[in-house]
Amino acid sequence: MDSEDDMHDAHDVDYYEEDYYSGDAMYSDDDDDDDAGYGYLHNDSDDSDDVIVSRQQKNYTILKEDDISQLQEEDITRICSVLSVSRDSACMLLRRYNWNVSNVHEAWFANEDKVRNAVGLLDKKDIKPPKSGELLCGICFESYPLDRICAAACGHPFCKECWTAYISTSINDGPGCLTLRCPIPSCGAAVGVDMVNMLTSDEDNTKYRRYLLRSYIEDNKKTKWCPAPGCDCAIEFDLGSGSYDVTCYCSYSFCWNCTEEAHRPVDCETVSKWIMKNSAESENMNWILANSKPCPKCKRPIEKNQGCMHMTCNPPCKYEFCWLCLGQWSDHGERTGGFYACNRYESAKQEGAYDESERRREMAKNSLERYTHYYERWATNQLSRQKALADLHQMQTVHLAKLSEKQCQPETQLKFIIEAWLQIVECRRVLKWTYAYGYYLPEQEHAKRQFFEYLQGEAESGLERLHQCAEKELNTYLNEDGSQDEFNNFRTKLAGLTSVTRNYFENLVRALENGLADVDAHGASSKTSSSKNAAGTSKAKGSKGKGSIRGGATSRTDDSTVWSCDQCTYMNPKTVTSCQMCHNSR
Amino acid sequence: MLHCDGGEEKIKRSLESNANFVPLKSISNAFLRNLCKNPVDGFSAGLVDESNLFEWSVTVIGPPDTLYEGGFFNAIMTFPPNYPNSPPTVRFTSEVWHPNVYPDGKVCISILHPPGDDPNGYELASERWTPVHTVESIVLSIISMLSSPNDESPANVEAAKEWRERRDEFRKKVGRCVRKSQEFM
Repeated sequence: MDSEDDMHDAHDVDYYEEDYYSGDAMYSDDDDDDDAGYGYLHNDSDDSDDVIVSRQQKNYTILKEDDISQLQEEDITRICSVLSVSRDSACMLLRRYNWNVSNVHEAWFANEDKVRNAVGLLDKKDIKPPKSGELLCGICFESYPLDRICAAACGHPFCKECWTAYISTSINDGPGCLTLRCPIPSCGAAVGVDMVNMLTSDEDNTKYRRYLLRSYIEDNKKTKWCPAPGCDCAIEFDLGSGSYDVTCYCSYSFCWNCTEEAHRPVDCETVSKWIMKNSAESENMNWILANSKPCPKCKRPIEKNQGCMHMTCNPPCKYEFCWLCLGQWSDHGERTGGFYACNRYESAKQEGAYDESERRREMAKNSLERYTHYYERWATNQLSRQKALADLHQMQTVHLAKLSEKQCQPETQLKFIIEAWLQIVECRRVLKWTYAYGYYLPEQEHAKRQFFEYLQGEAESGLERLHQCAEKELNTYLNEDGSQDEFNNFRTKLAGLTSVTRNYFENLVRALENGLADVDAHGASSKTSSSKNAAGTSKAKGSKGKGSIRGGATSRTDDSTVWSCDQCTYMNPKTVTSCQMCHNSR
Repeated sequence: MLHCDGGEEKIKRSLESNANFVPLKSISNAFLRNLCKNPVDGFSAGLVDESNLFEWSVTVIGPPDTLYEGGFFNAIMTFPPNYPNSPPTVRFTSEVWHPNVYPDGKVCISILHPPGDDPNGYELASERWTPVHTVESIVLSIISMLSSPNDESPANVEAAKEWRERRDEFRKKVGRCVRKSQEFM
């Protein structure tokens, strides 16, 4: 506790700001289960410190093209020296075993002949070429002097021109050229790098090398290309080391597992479902179903775009019908309750003979509305993130220098602004995916949904605060010369907000990743399984030094820099008289 | 049985003007050195048009002891510009009812398929085209195809079904093709 308190003195800003978030009902009230919670939380916070540390250590390596070549060369050299084979052969062996050095070793020492056969590495047979004279090329059937004839390890002679054409055709056919064999169908002797180097044009040779390099990344289970357009880097990932999110040198973040953009806290499966859903024609179908009815005669879908129930289908059909009952319009009149108040539908509904297709339409419409709700928010955060990325770029390239001049501070002292923007970008990404998460969270899990929506709402408003501060308040310092003091205050505020938001989002991600398990745990053990209590546990759980903050929060409630709202327990600064969350007055 | 149809002279003439063009060299060598020296039974070939070495007219004689015995089936063999690195195509101009011949006459056998990965995964790379194949090996493959149809990946689904399930019907149809082909001789 003591050491943590010291730490917090050093970061006084964090301290204050953290209250915004962590001050929860559960802690300011002296609940019964509070004590139990203490011990539990404290232990847990230790564990999660480890989690945070291990996460900060990168579990992946970014490889540039040179690095890839170098690694490839190293692997080839290793095989060469252990198996005492040529580089050419080593390369083919590695390719066959997906560039896994130990697999090559294993297979080779288990059964060398089998491996040689599979790869096409023949022992140089005792081919005794005639000392002089000519040989017939097996492709063009011309005779050539020996110096114009070439052969793979098998010794089948072909002229250099035919070899060149053969290899070149294969290279231009695609990566299959890496497993090229002697043209004789029954032979199977491999044609390796050395022959390719010797016989092909520079252009084909470059392509071949490219395929070889690509194979090193693509066939290897531990490496993948960065999917960002125009990026040539690859990522080597330590399998089984937790989070799949990686960030390339090009600053593109993606999930190493599914290569979609980074999507924590949502899992890969949900992401692919969501992406499928977004692109799927099925939503269009749902729309048509929800908003149109087929013409009773020609069955074309019709959208009703005017108020009147009297529908006339487009020529050539021109069928006139009633939108409500889909009956022929000429049947409608005074006796059926008037043209504009078809009561057949109403009475049918009353009798319970509610048309099955009508109900389906209704359901489709509801599900479409639900989807639209989540999709809109998902897409808005996406846009917002892109905007933030652009702003970040603008900040790095233009504004930072300007600000540095205005405030007479070196740019290194303004790093906190960049950090704030990076955090905004990251938060927008997380927030975006929480909407996919929400869409797939089962409707019947009321407690979880409530808790989730609460967390999401908090996240949203917290991020909004940070975004606002980085965008609007910063602008004032860009446009006019604020005083040094004011700017320093701004610095503490923005840095504080950044750190608080980071913590909050990290906890949010963790809570969602473990499937909001706290709701279950809490619901079972506590007499008050309200979503808010659950929220408190989760947020405190895994958050660095929460135990001590909580102590601090209570004490500072006393020294009244903040006050806790009676209704929603939100910690408000003392300057406001009504709660910033629920507008309940103090 | 091989008939050079006077093609030899034409080819030699054509070669004089394009002496170093590899495809022509391969095609003509395939013809002059292989076919003329090692004639294939039941097959004859010649140029469709003496100015174009890339299109050959070939006649395949139905192999004995098969349903196709006695037929004279004409086909056009078309060589691609990058021959011999890509295979020629063979299309029967006579009607041939066979599981491995498309309704338009195109022959579907594995050695006429370009090398590389087989999209359907049916054929081994070693069964496919490589530049050491020649007109001779193609014709041998076609003759063997006529003797033993492969109904696993048929080009003519109807014919394959008939061959498998209603052999009598199939036999009748092939007999009709054989008779028709004889009329054109």
